[in-house]
Amino acid sequence: MTSTTLPVNVLAEGLDTVRRAPPGVLVVFGASGDLTHRKLLPALERLSRRRLLPAAFAMVGVARTEMSDDSFRDLMMGAIPDAGPGWAEIVKNSSYIAGEYAHPDTFTALQARLKEIEEALGTGPNRTFYLATIPEVFAGVAQALGKVGLNQPEPGGSARLVIEKPFGRDRQTAHELDAALHEVFEEDQIYRIDHYLGKETVQNVLALRFANAIFEPLWSRNYIDHVQITVAETIGVEKRGSFYETAGALRDIVQNHVMQVLSLTLMEPPGSIDAQGIRDEKVKALRSVVVPKLADVPNVAVRAQYDSGWIEGNAVPGYRLEDGVSATSQTETYVALKLSVDNWRWAGVPIYIRTGKRLPKRLTEVALQFKAVPHLAFPKEAATGLNPNALVMRIQPDEGVTLRFGAKVPGQAFMVRDVLMDFSYGAAFLEEPPDAYERLLLDAMVGDPTLFIRSDEVDTAWGVVQPLLDAWGSGDAPLSGYASGSWGPRPAETLIERDGRQWRTP
Amino acid sequence: MSQARPDGAVGERAGPAGAGTAAATDGPQAVEVWQRANVGLGQVLASLPELRRKASGREAGTRTAVMTLVMVAGVDEDAEESATSFRSLGGHHPCRVVVLRPEPDSTPAIDARACLWRAQATGEDEDHPVFFEEIHLRIGGQAASHLSSIVAPFVLADLPVVMWFPHVLPDPADPLLRLASAVLVDTRSIGPEPEAIGHSYRALLELANHQPVVDLSWVRLQPWRELLAGLFEPEHNREFLPGVHLASVRGKPGPRHMLGGWLLSQLDLRARELVLEDAKHVAITLAADYQGEEGKFEVTRDDRLRAVWAQATLSGGVSQRQGLPLPDDSLTSALSSAVSNLRADRVWERALASAAILAP
Repeated sequence: MTSTTLPVNVLAEGLDTVRRAPPGVLVVFGASGDLTHRKLLPALERLSRRRLLPAAFAMVGVARTEMSDDSFRDLMMGAIPDAGPGWAEIVKNSSYIAGEYAHPDTFTALQARLKEIEEALGTGPNRTFYLATIPEVFAGVAQALGKVGLNQPEPGGSARLVIEKPFGRDRQTAHELDAALHEVFEEDQIYRIDHYLGKETVQNVLALRFANAIFEPLWSRNYIDHVQITVAETIGVEKRGSFYETAGALRDIVQNHVMQVLSLTLMEPPGSIDAQGIRDEKVKALRSVVVPKLADVPNVAVRAQYDSGWIEGNAVPGYRLEDGVSATSQTETYVALKLSVDNWRWAGVPIYIRTGKRLPKRLTEVALQFKAVPHLAFPKEAATGLNPNALVMRIQPDEGVTLRFGAKVPGQAFMVRDVLMDFSYGAAFLEEPPDAYERLLLDAMVGDPTLFIRSDEVDTAWGVVQPLLDAWGSGDAPLSGYASGSWGPRPAETLIERDGRQWRTP
Repeated sequence: MSQARPDGAVGERAGPAGAGTAAATDGPQAVEVWQRANVGLGQVLASLPELRRKASGREAGTRTAVMTLVMVAGVDEDAEESATSFRSLGGHHPCRVVVLRPEPDSTPAIDARACLWRAQATGEDEDHPVFFEEIHLRIGGQAASHLSSIVAPFVLADLPVVMWFPHVLPDPADPLLRLASAVLVDTRSIGPEPEAIGHSYRALLELANHQPVVDLSWVRLQPWRELLAGLFEPEHNREFLPGVHLASVRGKPGPRHMLGGWLLSQLDLRARELVLEDAKHVAITLAADYQGEEGKFEVTRDDRLRAVWAQATLSGGVSQRQGLPLPDDSLTSALSSAVSNLRADRVWERALASAAILAP
């Protein structure tokens, strides 16, 4: 009797400590665009250089721009001036299809091309479709793939769809997008990228929390007074003024990046660090966040827009003077927000969030502010420099963890003051971490969805911010101004000060 | 210690690198040096915080360490070469480096040199300095036979201790090894006589029974192994694996024996199905068949392009080719990879056992 079992690759034994992409084809829609050129091609080349791509690998570019295979190959080579020798081989295997995303011929041609490649290179039917296009065509491309059957994994193969944020403009449009995608792709075939999750240091939040026994018992309302999440940028809208006018800080940062960091901070320990374990707990955490009532929005949220000011010694213009921005723009470049969480672990612990452009320094951090000691045994004057403990997870830059605690000042008197115990990831692990796109691209090809956002996460995150969108979209919500180079407007300080607390000065 | 001044000097500044200046080069810079002849270990230990205290007066160095690296050198050249490699490694794995130079026939005394080095850690937005210590001890007299008692006070608590004996294989019974979490060896430096190779490989197998052994030569060969294994990832190619009927490995003694041993043990080949040839560089070729189709799978070096190529050619028409930049063959690079993965490697042990048979 002939066995149909595929032999094990015995030569790979012991080499599996590093994850490598299986043989396959990466199809990039929007292949002539900026994202492909700036992010995807360099990420692919680095994967090749790190020996993480297989020999049986090819890329097919699809876009509306008319271009021959050779021109596309020139584009690929030109994108990586210092490419390693393996890149030329990948480029040689790659090809291009020019066509409209709405036209069936584009997808019929793609189907035929994939068959040719799979037979010539032996890649097998492992197909990853990366939509590096404007979001408006996501649904159309997905459905067109479905019409030619490319949504269906062939036996022994895979068919995955990768899309980038934004996933809708609000909860309703996110639902519509999901419905359109789900008509042709199953949820486990859809990989939604928020590149923030590809950052090594965001993943380190999981390591800090769940690889260490000492933090988790403190990680609750019993010891934590409040949480502050800060996502600060020094840059303005640069050349994205017209895009930013349609987005704003709430859509651009809070609904996705902040909600991802928040869910990793609040989540319960998962049964296992795998896609389902982590994503189930993240969704549970987000569902515990109390959705603000429309009438409460003015009390829990502040929006603002940057005025002119000084950043790093340079004079910078106000938002309304930026290219592509309306002189009467009502788009927020700053959001401060107070959330509460209804669950056993976090009840009564306020979460303060602030994000903005043109703030004094670029950083992302999560600060857990602990409660003060129940009784201070020292004379008040001996502890003037003492504050409650704080554990700060710095996500960028200078990734690390800082613990603030009190220590005796050397000398005859018993004076105590704050000291910082500072751990820097860069000082313990000097290896260069993979770029976020490199990590996520490999994960998608391998079929590991852990760092991608599931449909219910997107929906729940939109649910949290939807009342703010509704309130601010009405047109009569106040919009404060803040000087570029400051930490935000006065109402944001009031938001936290009326609870008897203060924003950190990171 | 021949270079040490008999009277010693605490806080003596390093020479050309200068102290506390931002690194102008990629490599670590000496910041502070302390050295003294005929010294007690307590004095050496006391010098370490003193070096850090002096350095922190000029800039705040991050005090982080991930392991203790201990090197036992038989001759001065080994000590210097290894220390230089370890030092470069300090820029990737901040660690305390202890270099031991036993001289049992010399006057009973310990001469010491302790140095604080500064490496530049590259951050996303800004760089910051990382400081690590390097301690050289020349041990004369009977103490040279009791190195474990010398090393123990310098071991950083709760962190792995990695030991390296360049150009020699440690005696599995050496008490010093009890301090080790893992032992580094280099099978490339053994030989070239087949008898020496066979004898050494059997001794290494004995050592591996006691604790994790990491072979730097095996680490250097990993790209070749990965490329060859990668050729069998496509399902159709995989069918050829049971049909491999001839394996050819070219290279220098040591690497070619290890790769040959690997193929013998992993593919369950008979010795007569393996051909080993002497050559300057490594190359591997497998010939196989599957249902009448012939397949050739090879990994070769391309000096012109400074690349390694893996190629599968099947008589049915499919072929795949993959290229990589020539891997960094330096001692520092091998050490860096080795200390990143300090586990017992059963595949290496099986390859070693087969290689020992190939080189009786």
